[in-house]
Amino acid sequence: MRISDLKISISGIRGIVGESLTPQLLIKFSEAFSTYIGGGDIAVSSDTRPSREMVKYAVFSGILSCGACPIDLGILPIPSLQIYVHEKNIAGGISITASHNPIEWNALKLIKKGGRFLNDYEAEELLDLYYQGKFRRIQKPEQVKQEKNPFFFHEQKVLQLTDTKLIKKTGPKVVIDACAGAAAPYVKEFLEKLGAEVKCINCEITGKFPRNPEPVAENLSALCKAVKKYGADIGFAQDADADRLAVVDEKGIPIGSEYTLALAVQYYLTEKEKTPVVVNLSTSRVISDICAKEGVKLFQTKVGEINVSRKMKQLGAGIGGEGNGGIIVSHVHPCRDSFSGMALILEYLCRSGKTVSELRTSMPDYYMVKGKIRASYRDRKRILTRLNARFKKGRTDRTDGLRVDYPEFLFHVRPSNTEPVIRIIVESRDKEKTKEIYDKIREEI
Amino acid sequence: MTDKLRISVSGVRGVVPDALDVESASKFASAFSSYMEEGTIAICRDFRFSSQMLQMAAVSSIIASGLDCADFGRIPVSFLQFYLQKKSFSGGIAVSAGHNPLPWNAVILLNENGCYLEASEGAEVFNINEAESFQKAAWNNLGQVKKHKFPLELYLENLSSLIDLKQIRKSKFKVVADPCHGVVSPFLKAYAGHFNLNLIPINNIPKKPFPHPPEPNRENASQVEAVVKATGADFGFLLNSDGSRISLVNEKGIGLSEEFTVPLCLLSLQGKIKKAVTTSVTSTWTDWAAETSGIRLLRTKVGQSAVSHLMEVEEAEAGGEGSGSFALLPFSPGYDALLSLTLILDLMAKKENSLSEIISLFPKLFHKKLKIPVSAEKTYRMMDRLEAIFSSEKPDFSDGIKVKRQGVWFSIRPSSTEFILRIMIEGISREIIESVEDEILERIET
Repeated sequence: MRISDLKISISGIRGIVGESLTPQLLIKFSEAFSTYIGGGDIAVSSDTRPSREMVKYAVFSGILSCGACPIDLGILPIPSLQIYVHEKNIAGGISITASHNPIEWNALKLIKKGGRFLNDYEAEELLDLYYQGKFRRIQKPEQVKQEKNPFFFHEQKVLQLTDTKLIKKTGPKVVIDACAGAAAPYVKEFLEKLGAEVKCINCEITGKFPRNPEPVAENLSALCKAVKKYGADIGFAQDADADRLAVVDEKGIPIGSEYTLALAVQYYLTEKEKTPVVVNLSTSRVISDICAKEGVKLFQTKVGEINVSRKMKQLGAGIGGEGNGGIIVSHVHPCRDSFSGMALILEYLCRSGKTVSELRTSMPDYYMVKGKIRASYRDRKRILTRLNARFKKGRTDRTDGLRVDYPEFLFHVRPSNTEPVIRIIVESRDKEKTKEIYDKIREEI
Repeated sequence: MTDKLRISVSGVRGVVPDALDVESASKFASAFSSYMEEGTIAICRDFRFSSQMLQMAAVSSIIASGLDCADFGRIPVSFLQFYLQKKSFSGGIAVSAGHNPLPWNAVILLNENGCYLEASEGAEVFNINEAESFQKAAWNNLGQVKKHKFPLELYLENLSSLIDLKQIRKSKFKVVADPCHGVVSPFLKAYAGHFNLNLIPINNIPKKPFPHPPEPNRENASQVEAVVKATGADFGFLLNSDGSRISLVNEKGIGLSEEFTVPLCLLSLQGKIKKAVTTSVTSTWTDWAAETSGIRLLRTKVGQSAVSHLMEVEEAEAGGEGSGSFALLPFSPGYDALLSLTLILDLMAKKENSLSEIISLFPKLFHKKLKIPVSAEKTYRMMDRLEAIFSSEKPDFSDGIKVKRQGVWFSIRPSSTEFILRIMIEGISREIIESVEDEILERIET
């Protein structure tokens, strides 16, 4: 079967520049979005990929064509764009970023009024418009507007919720690795305003990613070295669009993305407020343990930021996120936000007087394996049904693929929206056990 | 008819968004960049609502093809043509619709010398467009966009070298200008300062809607006429919205036909050039002026592409059209209203005559220009019928139908930029052109 590198789905449009992602397609997609939004202002920002200008001009023309007015925010993290759309009360936003995908990719992520992503139904409506190609083109387009200080609202909101006096007094030494991404122009000043002493790596926009942008342990070696070299208290790494966060401890060891979220949740519940917690079904049990200890309820949703943030809103949850390092603090904005994450974790560090490794070891140890297996679109359903039958003694949840919980381990398998693969996570308290279950599932598939 | 795109070497024109939209603009820019293959495309636009939008679509497509883009912002097409000839760009794109009314816009393609594309080059671009076989650059090979400022000083210097600057400055002409809220507006003050004009501008706020149809001619001249009378100016002029065409108003406040522009420019160039090109439908005044000035005049099809092409082939220095357009090499291959204005200022300064005195030497001729809307499907059948009707008079078929009679000639041809038939009648008396007009209209209606 031939698989296209152009992905038009409910997550937006994504493709490889110079191959599938052409100006004509980008224009059409932006026209569909502008028609869908039905006029008003649409804020547009990008990460630092070299294709950002090409994409941006196409997006601007498409937005103008169907009556909305683009506001040019330049390079900006995706959470900052969401907050801007919310605070300015404008009609929508488009983020030009392929997130953790390699640099030859680019994509459009679509944001609605209120600064949230489109949910599945809304996205399907938009796709309908796109495929029908019936756009509401107008005779008198608007002119593009410029925004000089697009990070302002985001920064203010995080600073307001943070005890910067405490952090200033302690003066933690921080190394930040912005992956030469969307956070690069802002993050140093932000951390300094929080009260930290800051060393930067990968904070210059070079048009290349100095490392694989996914903030997982194997991509953080430069940060680990820098933490040791500077004798820093903590290292932070962001991805190219700055929604996800990774943490490296004072010894230069990554604590793992599941524990990044765990630190934030733990601190939020003990120091900020006791609220329900929402995470997705692919998130570690360490969060369940924390919630049980703190006596709050935990809810698990389908994977996808919009699903978590909608549930949070419904429950009035103050904190939540995804085990991939996506921390959501509702009072800043119901979106994954590495900046809120850094503020909470720095405050935790200063308040507790402990080191990052001490904070990490105060939590139970879990071992998680994540992977993906190729499986044709047709086979995937059948595979899940077979797995369900094979592991029927566990507690199963079919909200999003298949999640099975046994007392000693859990796994979550789900078909990807954009590729013919099945994603797998397996977790247990024991490294060997995790590996054993993971292999078993692979075999089944 | 508003949903049809006019695709020709003079650009891709149409009503926005029914015919010309961001997708078509982006495709044409992709096709043009693919044809050019490498280098830098210079780009400019006018003040129409849709121009920024169409330009952005073009910019994205240029850099996606791996060519760089030099963005000159909002300048007249003629400025871009001037600069293309001076510097080494691969080509140019102008988003500007000149004389077309407001819901229209156009994407104009220019070669490395600032000329309109030749017919065969244009066909190549349109073929690439139809096949959508566009050149695509990889992510690390995309073009860059760079903002450029148009070097106005260089332009004015080059203009000055064509004429007797001292003489013009000494004359301190008082002039009423109507740039039609167009793209020349922001440059008028510097121009007037350079030539020491006492300039009285009207309709001089770019971005505002056109105050009248943007074609410079007698019908649209009433505001300038009134201001010339009220201020006692030496003369007045009107420009189209992109500054390629000009028509004049004399010191008595009487609007003049745009057909005077080319012959006045030729009179001004007496002794400086040898050959000039005009079209088959330009007034006989042009022959008279060429003869008076010792210039050989050649005629070709209507349109800047055909005129530039013949200028190149015949090594003619000047070219112009009865619409009030004039170009002069090596200054620039583009029709430029400020060039025409400068030549006319020079003529008046040299002769020390008023505009009406200069005009009074012209042979007495009357003109009538008509525009008859016709849908694209009907155009050619109608032209066939008219050809048959007038065939006994042995018409000239080089562009539409041109019929010569005693004391009068007329031409009927389909416009390449709009869905209309253009009719031009020139005769020695009002009566004679009116009777020809009646005859043509009757023939078309039946």
